[in-house]
Amino acid sequence: MAVETVICIGCPLGCRVSVSLDRGKRVTGMRGARCRQGERYILKELKEPVRTLTTTLRTTDEDFPLLPVRTSRPVLKTLLEDIVRGTADVVVSPPVRCGQVVVPDVCGSGADLVATTDWTRRASKNGR
Amino acid sequence: MVEKADVAVIGAGPAGLAAAIAAREQGAERVMILERAERLGGLLPQCIHNGFGLLYFGEDLTGPEYERVFIQRARKAGVESRLESMVLDISPDLELTLSSSRYGYAKVKAGAVVLAMGCREKARGALGIPGGRPAGIMTAGTCQRYVNVEGFIPGRRFVILGSGDIGIIMARRLTLEGAEVEAVVEIMPWPGGLIRNEVQCLHDFGIPLLLEHTVTFIHGETRIQGVTVARVDGERRPLPGTERFIPCDCLLLSAGLIPENELSVRAGVELDPVTGGPLVDENRQTVVPGIFAGGNVVQVHDLVDWVSWEAEAAGRNAARFADRGGIPFRDQVRVRAGENVKYVVPQFISGKEEVTLHLRVTRPGLKATLLLGGKAFKRYRSVRPSEMIIEKVDVGRLSQAVREGELRVDCRMGEVA
Repeated sequence: MAVETVICIGCPLGCRVSVSLDRGKRVTGMRGARCRQGERYILKELKEPVRTLTTTLRTTDEDFPLLPVRTSRPVLKTLLEDIVRGTADVVVSPPVRCGQVVVPDVCGSGADLVATTDWTRRASKNGR
Repeated sequence: MVEKADVAVIGAGPAGLAAAIAAREQGAERVMILERAERLGGLLPQCIHNGFGLLYFGEDLTGPEYERVFIQRARKAGVESRLESMVLDISPDLELTLSSSRYGYAKVKAGAVVLAMGCREKARGALGIPGGRPAGIMTAGTCQRYVNVEGFIPGRRFVILGSGDIGIIMARRLTLEGAEVEAVVEIMPWPGGLIRNEVQCLHDFGIPLLLEHTVTFIHGETRIQGVTVARVDGERRPLPGTERFIPCDCLLLSAGLIPENELSVRAGVELDPVTGGPLVDENRQTVVPGIFAGGNVVQVHDLVDWVSWEAEAAGRNAARFADRGGIPFRDQVRVRAGENVKYVVPQFISGKEEVTLHLRVTRPGLKATLLLGGKAFKRYRSVRPSEMIIEKVDVGRLSQAVREGELRVDCRMGEVA
C-alpha cells in the first residue's frame, strides 16, 4: 500500500489530502479533505486531472487588442498548451457579450471558449 | 464650485465598488466614487484568471466577470462616479480636493469618506538589488497588464523574484504563451502565495520554486542579460559560494504589496506599522472621524471576496456616519498581536458586538491553536503566513477583554512545519 499527498485546489483552503492506494493504484482511503467536493476532486485528480483554462484571444480593435476568455468547464490538463497554441490565430470582432461562446468545442476538448467580459466598440481599454 | 456627496469613495476597484453599493443600500442619498483611472474596476480587468468569488458568490469567476457584476450593481444602485479624477487632499471637515482631466480642479464636500485606494507592488527600489539598471525589470502586475490587456509579452526568458500570487499566476500564463520561466526565487523558507496557486501554476508546469534564495545581482547594460541567484541563511543574508547565474531577458518582481496610504497620512489617518494600512475599529472607521477604510488599503488580502466584504462594512458605516452626523470611534478594547501573530485587524473594538478578526501568523505551523486573551479559541491543522485567518468572535468571548481593555491574540504552534 502506498500513501500519496494530493493538495486540493477546489477552494482557498488548499487541503492536503493523504490518499492510500493499493497495488493496483486504487484508492482505499482518504484523510484530510474538509468537504465532499474536495474528495471528488482528489479522485478525479488521481485519475484524470482537469483545469479551467483562462487565456485571451486577439481582436480586430487596436484599442482593445485582447478578449479575455475561459473554458466553459475544466479540460484535461494535457490539453492546456494545445488550446492556447491552437487558438493563437483566432481573431474576434465586436460585439461580444460576457458568457458568449467564441470558439465551440475548442481543440476537441468538449469545452467551449467563452468570453469573460462584454466588449462593444465603446468599451475599449481606455474607456474612451 | 463645491459639489456635495453624502459618501465619497476614493478608488473604483473591488473595494470602492463594494463600499459605494453598500453605502447606497444603507440609505446614503448621494454616493460618489472618485477614480484616477479612465474606467471603473481597478485591476480586475487584467486578472483574467479564475478563483474570484468562490466565497462571495459561491461561483468560480474570473477578474473581469467579478468586476462586471459589481459595476452592474453599482449602476443599479445609483452610485455616481467621477473618472480621471485624482484626490489630492482631504481636509479635516471632509472636503476633498481633486484634480481631473475631465472636470479640472474641483472640490467635493462629503458627509463621510471611504478610503479604497488598494495597494501597489514593491518595485525594485524597495528591494535594493545590486547591479545595473537595464531594461527588462518590472513588477509582475505590470507584466500582467502587458500580457493580458495590452497584448504583448515583454520577454522570452523570465526569472520571477518573490512567490506572491501575481508572480506565480504570471509564471503559468507566460509558460502557456510560449515563454520560458527559469525559476521563481523566494527569500523566505515558505512560498508567498496561496497553496492552490502554487499547485496549479508551478507544480503543473514543472516551474522550479527556489525557497531561501534571492537575486544578488542584475547583469546587463541596456537589456537585462541574467541574474545571480544565491541561497540565503536564516538571517536572509546570501551565503558565499552558493551563487549561480541564470540567464534571462526579463525579471519580474512579485515580492509583496504595500497599501497605498499617502493620501490617508496627509489627512491625519494613523497607520499600523505592520499592515501599512490605517488603524481601524470594527466599523472600519479610522482615527479621523468620518474617514473609513476597507479592502487592500487597510490590509493586503489573499482573496478579493474579503476585500469586498471589508469594504462593504466601511461603506455601510460611512453612510451611517453621514446620516447621523457622526458615530463614535470604538476604542474600548485594543487588539494586540501576540505570539506568532504578525497583525490583527481591526486594531480597536468595542467588545459589545460580534467582531470578525483578520490576522496573519508570522511563520507556518502545524496543530496550531488560536488563543484569545490567553484562552484557546480554535485549532487548525496547519497555518501559513500566506493564508489569512478570519474568525468571527461572539460577544461572550469578549467580556474579559472589555474588563482588561485589551484583547491579546496568540497562535501557539504544536509542531514546527
